[in-house]
Amino acid sequence: MKRTKSINLGRMRKTTDRLSLKPISLAIASITLAACSDTRQASVFRDANECSFQNPGLEEECQIAYEEALKDASDTAPKYQSRRECEAEFGNNACTNYNASSGSMFMPAMAGFMFARALDRNRYNHSPVFTSYNSRSPFYGDWVTADGYRYGSNRHSTITVGNKAFKPKPKVTRTMSRGGFGSTVSAKSSWGGKKSSFKGGWGG
Amino acid sequence: MIRMPIKERPNWREQADDFGFKFHTMYGKAYWDESAYYLFTLEQIEQGIEDPTAEVHQMCLAVVDKVVNDEALLRKFRIPELFWDNLNQSWKRGDPSLYSRLDFAYNGKDPAKLYENNADTPTSIYESGFWQWLWLEDNVRSGQINRGADQFNSLQEKLIQRFSEIYSKTDQPYLYFGCCKDTEEDRGTVQYLEDCANEAGIPTKFVYIEDMGHGEGDLFTDLDNQAIELMFKLYPWEFMQREEYAGLINKNATQWIEPIWKSVLSNKALLPMLWKMFPNHPNLLPAFFENELDNSISMDIVKKPIYSREGANVSIIRNGKTVLDTDGPYGEEGFIYQAYHPLPKFGKNHTLIGSWLVNDQPAGISVREDKAVVTQDMSRYLPHTILN
Repeated sequence: MKRTKSINLGRMRKTTDRLSLKPISLAIASITLAACSDTRQASVFRDANECSFQNPGLEEECQIAYEEALKDASDTAPKYQSRRECEAEFGNNACTNYNASSGSMFMPAMAGFMFARALDRNRYNHSPVFTSYNSRSPFYGDWVTADGYRYGSNRHSTITVGNKAFKPKPKVTRTMSRGGFGSTVSAKSSWGGKKSSFKGGWGG
Repeated sequence: MIRMPIKERPNWREQADDFGFKFHTMYGKAYWDESAYYLFTLEQIEQGIEDPTAEVHQMCLAVVDKVVNDEALLRKFRIPELFWDNLNQSWKRGDPSLYSRLDFAYNGKDPAKLYENNADTPTSIYESGFWQWLWLEDNVRSGQINRGADQFNSLQEKLIQRFSEIYSKTDQPYLYFGCCKDTEEDRGTVQYLEDCANEAGIPTKFVYIEDMGHGEGDLFTDLDNQAIELMFKLYPWEFMQREEYAGLINKNATQWIEPIWKSVLSNKALLPMLWKMFPNHPNLLPAFFENELDNSISMDIVKKPIYSREGANVSIIRNGKTVLDTDGPYGEEGFIYQAYHPLPKFGKNHTLIGSWLVNDQPAGISVREDKAVVTQDMSRYLPHTILN
């Protein structure tokens, strides 16, 4: 047989207009861990010392996890134009400067990091977590990852996580300009007023 | 290879709505045409198209290998000097490619002749990989086409597999997909590829090319200010390399599908290079750069812009006279010349075979017809079967 054996027709149907759905950045994502089979326990530590104290013999792993989590936090935390905007989400004194080369931005300070033995047992996974001290924020009192997933109350230092918790998060940064791609198209499609006979695709 | 009339499926337009196939009719004219189909023998498919596709593709890759190491050739291909290093490294690293489409003139008897290589932004993948597949399923089920009929079309299967391979070698949270605004055809094409990636279990996000931003740290960003570091773009490299964000391309590690080395493979300057490196190959037409034109003076030739799409700005020159000229916005980067070899006619139609590759493997064909001798973007798409 020289053709595709089977196609998931459900996936191909477009009964709702999926094209118009716009994803949201710091969406409040809810997790249904009960439905996940690959869950495990992770600890949340405020810093490397707390991690080392509770994991004797893992001082080096704790230090590395802490430093990498700090860097990931800087890359992936939501960014705000003003301290006020950031604090409205995360609470007073919960925000820090984000070093942007053109002017300053603000991001929530890392509140701690998740730490768990990797599934292959030889390494340790880590991921930065944030929390909000503003009772009006949907993230109030919870451990939250950079992509907006909540992992229960920040009074607990042991949480249940799925694999998603340690997957890389999108980097979030400040956009300085837009529209630097696409100019050739507007130039070429206005050529000679022929648009009516030209269906306007740029593929070939 | 026979053109077979057949009854249209009575409900296909409703079905197209259901599946979101919006560009089957454009500007009041049919693009998807199921009033007929092309019937091939297995031998025609395998020896006539599939084997030459694999071989010609390898020949094209040999050209790329030569060009990326040769500054004079890179200049001839009109690739801006700013990108030479990046392109060379991308090729040497083996940055993975998803797909390509080789266009052939093939009449079912004589060797297929390569017209061009659409290696950067090929379209009609949805019609080929999914819609004509569904057409055959439906017609077999209704008994209009024999149960033993097959189709040269493993595109969807191979695309899903290839996306999975590419993504598993990255640590990116998303695979981005992007195309330009205001084109239903491109948007539908990209949606199809996104569906294939989702079927492979890959998280995806969509961004219009015009909405992309320049973020702190010289990253590309989406409308949520998230970094775009792995992206399928249905947007030509030769445009990207000449626009405002061109400089940013070399400054970050964003992985592009198709990769930047495809700007050599999709370039029409490939055609004279192929003829130089593989002269008189049965699947090639003689082709020349502008400064070599003396060689071809006795033959009828076609003049094509180095960068062009959908048959725009093509001239046919016979006995030294231009007999046909298509309009278009291309040509400022120069032209190449290819021996005139008209498409075979089936009834009143000129028929072009698009032969797909996914991950360097032949993966299926598309058949397009046009009343005019140069296939343009308003040509019609017809399904095909293989006689068993």
